[in-house]
Amino acid sequence: MEFLGNILTGFQITFQPINLFYCFIGVFLGTMIGVLPGIGPSATISILLPVTFKIPPVPSIILLAGIYYGAMYGGSTTSILVNVPGEAASVVTCLDGYQMARQGRAGQALGIAAFGSFIAGTFSVIGLMFLSYPLSKFALAFGPPEYFALILLGITILSYLAQKSMWKALMMAVFGFLLSFVGIDMITGKARFAFGISELMDGVGILPIAMGLFGVAEVLENLNLSEGRAIFKTKLRGLLPNRQDWKNSWKSISRGSFVGFILGIIPGGGAVLASFVSYAIEKRCSKHPEKFGHGAIEGVAGPESANNSAFGGGLVPLFGLGIPPSVVSALLFAALMMHGIQPGPFLIPEHPDVFWGLVASMYLGNIMLLIINIPLIGLWVQVLKVPQMVLLPLILLFCIVGTYAINNSFFDVGIMMFFGVLGYLMKKFEYEAAPLILAFVLGPIMEQSLRQSLKLSGGSFLIFLTRPVSAILLILAGLVLVSYFFFKRKREVLDKGEKKV
Amino acid sequence: MRRLGSEVLGSLFWMGVGIFFALGGLKLNIGTLRNPGPGFLPLIMALILVFFSLSTFVNGLIRLETPVKGIFWSRQALMIASVFLYGLLLDWIGFLLSTFILMFFLFGLSIRGKSRWPKVFLYSLATALAAWVVFSWALRIPFPLPRLRTIWM
Repeated sequence: MEFLGNILTGFQITFQPINLFYCFIGVFLGTMIGVLPGIGPSATISILLPVTFKIPPVPSIILLAGIYYGAMYGGSTTSILVNVPGEAASVVTCLDGYQMARQGRAGQALGIAAFGSFIAGTFSVIGLMFLSYPLSKFALAFGPPEYFALILLGITILSYLAQKSMWKALMMAVFGFLLSFVGIDMITGKARFAFGISELMDGVGILPIAMGLFGVAEVLENLNLSEGRAIFKTKLRGLLPNRQDWKNSWKSISRGSFVGFILGIIPGGGAVLASFVSYAIEKRCSKHPEKFGHGAIEGVAGPESANNSAFGGGLVPLFGLGIPPSVVSALLFAALMMHGIQPGPFLIPEHPDVFWGLVASMYLGNIMLLIINIPLIGLWVQVLKVPQMVLLPLILLFCIVGTYAINNSFFDVGIMMFFGVLGYLMKKFEYEAAPLILAFVLGPIMEQSLRQSLKLSGGSFLIFLTRPVSAILLILAGLVLVSYFFFKRKREVLDKGEKKV
Repeated sequence: MRRLGSEVLGSLFWMGVGIFFALGGLKLNIGTLRNPGPGFLPLIMALILVFFSLSTFVNGLIRLETPVKGIFWSRQALMIASVFLYGLLLDWIGFLLSTFILMFFLFGLSIRGKSRWPKVFLYSLATALAAWVVFSWALRIPFPLPRLRTIWM
């Protein structure tokens, strides 16, 4: 009964006009930037975060979350119509979605993507509701050693799942930790790595870093692209998938929802991996795998469901444990902190309005998205026609003003540009930015829990192994590391084999 | 002579970062294991970074690898420079005018084609006005008052 009461309260909160308004703005903006290639949800959330300082915490979290799951919806439109992914999580949608468009079935592809996203979004909200609450009760018993071990495990899994090399991902995580140490030490009050610069005393902000790595770096990279986007000219008739389409794709949607949710919980899993895994599963489960890549509707329905569902999954550890598993949830973590709310197991009992309000807003947001996306698809096709070369300067301007607005100082803009250049080079040298951001956000908690644990144990590292939960977490982290080296050999052999073929 | 590949160059950079933080950590109080000081974890992390980059470095030297391709600088450098110039201009001539100049420059940089300048002018004018309405008027972001005006008046 407690549950029902909570969710009803959530809906009461969401139905307040201000929250409805911000929910709509969020999903609308999200769809827009999802449609536009070149700017992703991480950059948009960072740009809009300073704006949310002035509104209360509940609508700002609703707004920021809306941007993300809205972008997951919008990303599919670009993939299907232009064969260019609007978001990294829509890369696989290009494979079959664009083929469907070429066969005159663009409407059905867009429709199944929207409905699949809706179903998966709803599924993941229900999962979130049922999982985070018990998880947070369990995590109340966590002490500093458990938290330290949990963060180590999280970072290890995140690096393990890195697309390029685990080694490099770990390096980026370590660099993220180091960056988080800049500023005044919370325990002793001593300034670290600030070099007497007053702006650095409070530490480097997450927003200039995120806008630099995800906004400016993207602009710098795309500056040399030649204009070559051709929207597939087709009349969009029949946006509603027919009975056969539904028959073909309902299983894919269910599988995608489930897989996406589970992968969303895992650090570094997230929407991108979820969509790829879902595509692979659909191809394997299909009775006619040869149709994949030639316009199989399952290849659109599965991944598009999975990337939406991953968002709800990603919120489980954020609200249950206070540990964000992905870049976007790390940004939500930062947003909560900036509003004076400490994410962690105490969040749901202390700020039920934030959690239940967000959950209820995601139900409504998914319905809004269905309305925004299906009848208004023509509008998004128009948005797509804005050339990239006009967009890039605008994105840069948004980043500059957004960063400036945090402290009304140009110092942060300088930091952002620094990370923009760094991010550009990191892309070229194949270092990933996600571990850096996550480690940066988790750095303070990790340091505090390590120092407290060592104080508790009188300087002995054995404390991490004598407490059962932290011991299990650390053993898991060790297994992940070992399995990397074990499978690395195999992977290399396989790679060489494939190249020869 | 073989050109240095991406692994070697990248790892050298991160090694430098690691050494920088390690030295900084040493200067801070490291404390004891019983009571770790503010320099404790920075030093450990920095050493881990140095170790990782060292292994990447060696790995890069052993394997024959291709040099990094596709790093372009000309437009990028102009774009970066324009942002810093914008920071200076903002102080002197205010948000509206400096944003127009920045956008004119940026659009000129990104839009290509022979007869682009009228387009560039129009776009940057529209952007500057819209940005002023949204950021300065509606969102009330306090941009610095132009110094030139205060000098004149």
